[in-house]
Amino acid sequence: MSAEPPRKDDARERLRRVLFLVPYAVRHPGLAVRELAERCGATEAQLLEDLDFLLTVGCPPFAPDDFLDLYVERDRVYVALHQSFTRPPRFTESEAAALAAAVKALGGEGRDRVLEALRQAVPRERRKAYDELARRIYAGSPPARGSVMDRLSRAIAGRRAVRLRHFSAARAEERERVVRPYTLARRFGHWYLFGHDQDRDRELPFRLDRIRDCAVLDETFEPPPPAALARARLFSEPHGHAIRLRLSRVAAAWALARPARLRVVERGADGAVVVEVEGADAEWVTRFALSFGGEAEVLSPPEARRHFEEAVQRALTRYQPAPAGAPAPRGRGAGTRRRRRARPASRLTA
Amino acid sequence: MQKAQRLLDLAALLLRAAEPVSWREIQEQFPEDYGGSEEAAIRKFERDKAELLELGIPVRWLQGDEDLPAGYLIDKDDFYLPDLKLPPEDLALLYLSGSAALAGGDFPYARDLAHALEKLSFAARGPGASEAAGQAARTLSAGDGPGRGEVPSMLEELSRAIAAQKRVHLVYAGAERSETTERDVDPYGLYQAGGAWFLCGHCHLRGAVRTFHLARIRSLEVNRAQPRSRDFQVPPDFSVADLATREAWEYAVHPPERARVRLDGPVSAEDRASFGPRAELREEPGGATVELTVTNGEALLRHVLALGDRAELLAPVRLRRRAGTILSELARRVR
Repeated sequence: MSAEPPRKDDARERLRRVLFLVPYAVRHPGLAVRELAERCGATEAQLLEDLDFLLTVGCPPFAPDDFLDLYVERDRVYVALHQSFTRPPRFTESEAAALAAAVKALGGEGRDRVLEALRQAVPRERRKAYDELARRIYAGSPPARGSVMDRLSRAIAGRRAVRLRHFSAARAEERERVVRPYTLARRFGHWYLFGHDQDRDRELPFRLDRIRDCAVLDETFEPPPPAALARARLFSEPHGHAIRLRLSRVAAAWALARPARLRVVERGADGAVVVEVEGADAEWVTRFALSFGGEAEVLSPPEARRHFEEAVQRALTRYQPAPAGAPAPRGRGAGTRRRRRARPASRLTA
Repeated sequence: MQKAQRLLDLAALLLRAAEPVSWREIQEQFPEDYGGSEEAAIRKFERDKAELLELGIPVRWLQGDEDLPAGYLIDKDDFYLPDLKLPPEDLALLYLSGSAALAGGDFPYARDLAHALEKLSFAARGPGASEAAGQAARTLSAGDGPGRGEVPSMLEELSRAIAAQKRVHLVYAGAERSETTERDVDPYGLYQAGGAWFLCGHCHLRGAVRTFHLARIRSLEVNRAQPRSRDFQVPPDFSVADLATREAWEYAVHPPERARVRLDGPVSAEDRASFGPRAELREEPGGATVELTVTNGEALLRHVLALGDRAELLAPVRLRRRAGTILSELARRVR
């Protein structure tokens, strides 16, 4: 890319860092250099440079007591003079707008209260700019009420354990799991829950679209240790067998631009491709293939192809008028189904 | 004096002052920085004030009265990040949203988001605070090094172009065409849909608002000329959310047509929501019926097919027939 990324050490970035560093050091006297650096997202060398820089900063007329004074003693940082930098400054409009976009995407009942509080935390003069910027980012619609995502966000906020019915791609089986939900993350184009699995006694990622059901339990838990969280975030997903699909030229153009991890294994002269997707289950792949409306099919392994074939057959029965007197075709949830014939289009077109 | 140092000195002076500081006094305290011609000095001071404000530090001019002289001041209440007086469950939502966005690795204004989460630890104690702060620090220390991926750095670049309203030059690969096109775009906003990020803005090649899939942007260059002046204005009626929540079957392909879909119960919240905010849902015995207006019937057809036998396209008849045809062809092929 020709555009230069911002240098991490430019003046503005340093100012933002020290405006956090000084009040943080005031609030946590005697913090180890390493810990303070970590907390500020800086290296130790960078932090020591920042401390040197701060020694030159002060308040005119620059009498000895007018300078900022942060010093290191036995590898720990102390503040002798803080010159009123005891709390970080208000949010800039882009800080508040970024937070607002994240909050809007996750929804929840307190959403509007949170957004108003964020707005109030921006300096008066910049609120108009904030309003405008907040309208320029849209990070997705909030989860539907009662959906898995919605229930999980509440459970995480309330530190309540959940019982999940989860499909594991690696084991190709569906299981009930009791999990302490720690956090949500979006990776590789999918939402994941990170949490502590009770049975396996460790932190694991669970892909949200494989959670078939989720019940919030009464059991509460203590905040997770940071080390556990750090481990959980560097996850790599266990993979089952890779599933292969054939995509027509048209489907390929769209599918390959999506964030799903597709690997092209074969290219046909007509533009059609065979792709492999890892860590997916047959249900997901079937839906994915059907979303191309006949332009894609599942090839292998045989179980996945059979799953696809059965899904196609079941769906097809819905579009074939049953012969008079024949029993209604059976499919998933056939007991509750009430079949309907299409009404003439004229009654529906506006 | 270095700028960073001058800005902090100025902030310290105005923050600590018991009463407003006159321009004359400021000049005296910073003789080297605000020396020279009066006009140049004032311009430089105004720029510094603007930069402080960009850092969240408002410098105010106060009119004098009988008790106070006229001058500049940073009011502590205006400077310090206030306590967000929110109930714990709201704070938990705030922290969870922020850290989930950062953990994803691609979010616009990611650095700003990280700074905001760090600052929040002063303004709100709530469940999730330390997780969010840890995630923020990791984001800041990850920096811009290699291996950060194309999309995250493009998001960062575009975030800044959108905030500053600077024009961008794109080399873009079309969806079903293999060739690339070059164009100037006034970036209006960013949105996420289906896990991917899109830029929307006025495209000078097409003379209209267009959306661009970030993964198909081959290269991106922000107009560097006059960084402090805007290149364009966003039309007041433009809404990123409207564009982003437009379902594929709402793209303008044919005249509007009413469609009806039967969902078999129990219908999950996800399936219900998948038809978008404008669909009308009617509960029925054993399921629900969705009615909606479509201008791209083909897209609705694909959506219904992807729901498998839980959904059935009832109308229009033309689409229903096509669903039948597609499924019989597929059934023949896979048997």
